[in-house]
Amino acid sequence: MQESSGNSDPKKIIIIGGGPAGLTAAYQLHKLDKKAIVIEKDEVVGGISRTVNYKNYLFDIGGHRFFTKIKAANDMWKEVLSDDMLHRSRLSRIYYNNKFFYYPLRPLNALSGLGLWNSSMILISYLYSHIFPYKDEETFEQWVSNRFGKRLYNTFFKTYTEKVWGIPCSEIRAEWAAQRIKGLSLLSAIRNALIKQNQEQKGKAVIKTLIDSFDYPKFGPGMMWQAVADIVQGNGSQVRLGADVETILWDRESRKVEAIEIRANGRQELVSGTDFISSMPVRELIQKFKPSVPDEVLKAANNLNYRDFLTVALIVNKPELFPDNWIYIHDPRVRLGRAQNFKNWSSHMVPDQNKTCVGLEYFCFEGDDLWNMPDRDLIELGKKEMEKLGLLKASDVEDGSVVRMPKAYPAYDSKYREMLDIIRRFLDGVANLQVVGRNGMHRYNNQDHSMLTAMLAVENIYGAEHDLWNVNVEQEYHEERKEEITEAPEELIPDSAIIRAFSRMDKLGFATALGTVSGLLIFMATLWLVIKGGEVVGPNLRLLSQYFIGYSVTVKGAFIGMGYSFMWGFLFGWLFAYLRNVSLAFYIYRVKKKTELLSFSDFLDHF
Amino acid sequence: MAKANSKDEEKLFSGILRLNAKVMGLIMGLLLGLVIFIATNWLVIKGGHIDPSGKYVVGPHLRLLSQYFIGYRVSFLGSIIGFGYGFAIGTLSGALIGWIYNKIVDFRN
Repeated sequence: MQESSGNSDPKKIIIIGGGPAGLTAAYQLHKLDKKAIVIEKDEVVGGISRTVNYKNYLFDIGGHRFFTKIKAANDMWKEVLSDDMLHRSRLSRIYYNNKFFYYPLRPLNALSGLGLWNSSMILISYLYSHIFPYKDEETFEQWVSNRFGKRLYNTFFKTYTEKVWGIPCSEIRAEWAAQRIKGLSLLSAIRNALIKQNQEQKGKAVIKTLIDSFDYPKFGPGMMWQAVADIVQGNGSQVRLGADVETILWDRESRKVEAIEIRANGRQELVSGTDFISSMPVRELIQKFKPSVPDEVLKAANNLNYRDFLTVALIVNKPELFPDNWIYIHDPRVRLGRAQNFKNWSSHMVPDQNKTCVGLEYFCFEGDDLWNMPDRDLIELGKKEMEKLGLLKASDVEDGSVVRMPKAYPAYDSKYREMLDIIRRFLDGVANLQVVGRNGMHRYNNQDHSMLTAMLAVENIYGAEHDLWNVNVEQEYHEERKEEITEAPEELIPDSAIIRAFSRMDKLGFATALGTVSGLLIFMATLWLVIKGGEVVGPNLRLLSQYFIGYSVTVKGAFIGMGYSFMWGFLFGWLFAYLRNVSLAFYIYRVKKKTELLSFSDFLDHF
Repeated sequence: MAKANSKDEEKLFSGILRLNAKVMGLIMGLLLGLVIFIATNWLVIKGGHIDPSGKYVVGPHLRLLSQYFIGYRVSFLGSIIGFGYGFAIGTLSGALIGWIYNKIVDFRN
């Protein structure tokens, strides 16, 4: 066994995984002028964000748009790629019931595609779900139905979600849907509504949504991660490709990882380090601990599941096929989940502009019939299904390639939360090991969140105390960027101000206060005239007796008037406070529902 | 989101509004002062009429305020005096409403 060590720095940092998270960690260390060893199992970097090159036709493992609200991630993309980043307009549609629907939905297109009857039924179903929602929101089906209505759920969510996950929606945890929609905290929604209202009043455009456009590297996302790998290697870090981690050697007493055993080029090596960052699937990580982890933890890890994924890339002898970047295929007659047209992401993805390269995405489980199907059969299946959908002619396809991507999606099934909690408790106790990224944390992190976890992990090595598990939970995230606003929205309207402004008014308190002051005013007004005296005392104020029976401009009348006035002031104050509370509650409800409904416009993008 | 939202809702709906008595007083003072100022000037601009005794009368009803606001009359100068009185009474009333409200809220919570 050969031993290799990191560098002369007292800290020897080992990063397991050369995907966005692992390479971001290495890049952050490079910026601190520190070196690391990145261990990557595959022969290419980028993980699921790699770009595959097949005969100079480039394709992604799924489409990877570059957009984020996390400044640090955006800065890194710009630093690394600068001029090689393209800004692209987005066009995507849903194929459902032999029709194409623009996604995000466009009202007229949706109306004509669904028909008047179906659209009306969707509206009725939406209203019904708000009047009679599911009381428990345990499953994806309940969560989506409560927000969008059962009929819309059946139309646009059910078949596609079941294709993605391979299990009925009634078995998918609601938490998965909830996590997909970030930035929908009620306070953020109210803040955004207030800012938008304020800016609109000033005639300014506020929110430019990145749902309609995105950045994309000229040669695909793999370009980004290859560039990062080159940069860190240029600084003396190592990126070891084709190196499979076989064992995590740890000391139970000190609760520290001491080294990892890897197999590269058929040889086993021991790589020791002082700090470890892992983005490998957490299930595998736990299984590789030596000595073994407690039974309960191992059992929990074994219970974590994943959804796998394969892409069939077809090279088509046609300059144009369809205008979309991608199409969601909801049609249950085909197994195809999503069709990507990479030439529409970047024209640099195809070497010959007279040809097109499409990526057909099939969601599967490692070892199932799709996964095990020979490449040739998969290419035939893809051709047949695309022809069935009317998207291409099989005879135009001149070549194809297949890429299988195991563990593409951490599964949020019914037991994952409990299992992950057990694992997390164990990992929290291992002092020098941090898990980052999507599979590393078994969390549906997108590229930017994975990057952020890695950045924070590096800071933790140098003394910070970030809780990485809070990334993507606390982080505001939805596909919007306030480009016209220089200050952060939180600085414009802090949470405390919203809470103060929208707090409930005490009806009894306000009624009593208003009643008391009204009563005192009438009392003093009456008494003043009585004290002033005269031949006829207060002939005009006396007219109040038309309403306040028994009232007169006398000392006794002053008390009677005070009583009446208190009563009316009290009633008016109570009513005012009540109406104020009701209207604010209605405003909050409206903002909440509107935000939830708007989330439909990018819901599918998170799959 | 459900968790975050329920936390937010709890924050929003568990809080009880407090009034700033000084601001409340200032607002009510300005409002009442302005109401009297505008109402007086409106009548001044509209002009008056000659009563049976041959006197030119402007705003006989509003003039009754002079019972309380010494020196007030329906004229431009009177509107400024009225503004001052209105502002004073409005401020006191508003501040008192705010103060009483806050005391009751403190007592009840």
